[in-house]
Order: sequence, then C-alpha cells, then structure tokens
Amino acid sequence: VKLTRPKQRSAPETIIALIDVVFFLLVFFMLIGRMDATAPFEVMPPLGQSGSPMPGAGSTISVSDDGALALDGAPVTRTALLDEMERVIATEPERLVRINAHRAARLRDVLPLAGALEGLGAREVVLVLTPAEP
Amino acid sequence: MKLARPIRSRAGISLVAMIDVLMIMLVFFMVTSTYLELAMVPLVEGREAGGAPTAAERGTRIVVRLGGDGVAYVQGRPLAAAELTALIEAARVDDPSLEVIALPSGLAELQSLAALMDAAAAAGAGNLRIVRLEAEP
Repeated sequence: VKLTRPKQRSAPETIIALIDVVFFLLVFFMLIGRMDATAPFEVMPPLGQSGSPMPGAGSTISVSDDGALALDGAPVTRTALLDEMERVIATEPERLVRINAHRAARLRDVLPLAGALEGLGAREVVLVLTPAEP
Repeated sequence: MKLARPIRSRAGISLVAMIDVLMIMLVFFMVTSTYLELAMVPLVEGREAGGAPTAAERGTRIVVRLGGDGVAYVQGRPLAAAELTALIEAARVDDPSLEVIALPSGLAELQSLAALMDAAAAAGAGNLRIVRLEAEP
C-alpha cells in the first residue's frame, strides 16, 4: 500500500493589505489633487516673491506668450471672453478672476485685459505667479 | 435511508472588481493631480468708499518706467533690480508712504513687471500702482 501525504495547500496571499494601500493612496491623491482646467497652450507664470497664497475657485483666464486666450481651459477670442465674463460678473460680482499669463506674454496682452475686467465690474482680479526663492 | 444534499457554500463576493475600480481611480487622480504651488498678486481690488486719494492726500511719488526691453528707468536712468530697490529704500526714509508708480511699455514681458514688483516689495514699498495700458499700441 502506498500512502501519500496530502499536499498542503499554501495559504493564499491576502489581498486585504493591497486594498488598504491602494485605498490610502487613492484618498491621498483625491485630497491633494486640485481639479483645475488647464490651458490649451503652455503657460509658465512669472516668477515672483511678492505673491500671497492663491485661493481656489473662481474663473481662470490663461494668456499665452503670443497673446492667445483661454477661459477655464477652453480657447476663446477676446470678444467672446469679455462677453462671457460680463455675464459671469453680472451674476457674481465677487467672483475671483485669475489671470494666468505666460511669463513671456507682452504686457499689452495682459494689462488691458485687467482693465477691461475692472470695467465689467470685477471686484477681484489677480495675477498668478510662481513663487520664487528670495 | 436518508439522502442529504450537500450544502453548497455561498459564493463569496469577488474583490477583484473593487480592486480594478480602485486602481483605475488611483491612476486617474495620480495623472490629473497638479502639484504646482502658485501665488497671486492683486491687479484689481474692490475699491473702498471714498474713491481714489486726491493729489493733496498723496505723498511723494516715484515713477518707474518699464521699457520694452524689460529694463526699469527712473528719470531716464536704467536701473538694475538691486539699484531700484536701493533707490526706493532711500526715498522711503524721507517718506514712508512713498508711492511707486510703474509705467510699463506694452512690449515689455510680464516677467519684467513681476521683477519690478519684487524690487518694490523688497524695498518695503507697499504702495505700488501700475499705469495700465487700455489701448493696444
């Protein structure tokens, strides 16, 4: 008679630990991630030391180095941008408007825009900076 | 004789689908997250009642012209950032409420305006006004 010892099944690797890790990573990225519309062109904000922390929310106007415009990630013409902003500001005058302009953008493409937004009644228009080390 | 049907063990809920969903969400947030730390400077702020100060209420002013080449000029003299800071600091000794007026060229790059604001801030000048260009050249 040949006696065979039953094969011991190895204990299955627990996947609970994996799920825990993945879940923590997921929560981490959900918390630190910031959902924001990105510009359809490259925008590198100017370096500056004199800025203050930027709050979230609001409208973002992007300006490329050649003067192209985008509103909340969608390319727009200047006329369409001002029409849309007029509508937005009329309903919400306290809305923060961020001008996220490329550091090589000409001031003739940026400063008149701020003036036009002020003329539409915007109460708070800010220029986005990349914090620089002093 | 009693025949007993073997008890079927209940099928466990598969965790594979949940792991798949978690992984897809994780990858999504990892890819879409931005880690840029950005700052801001106000270009337009809500005006307080009373309007702009009159000429008599204004103190000393210093006008800094920003050329199209990005160089700052004071009374026609080109100044580096450190020289501009020193000049404003010296002027603030006489009048701490010194007003710095930036007169930028439309051809200047935005970075040069940010550098000018930094130079004024480094000198402690909290009263900086930018003469905005309303019309394109």
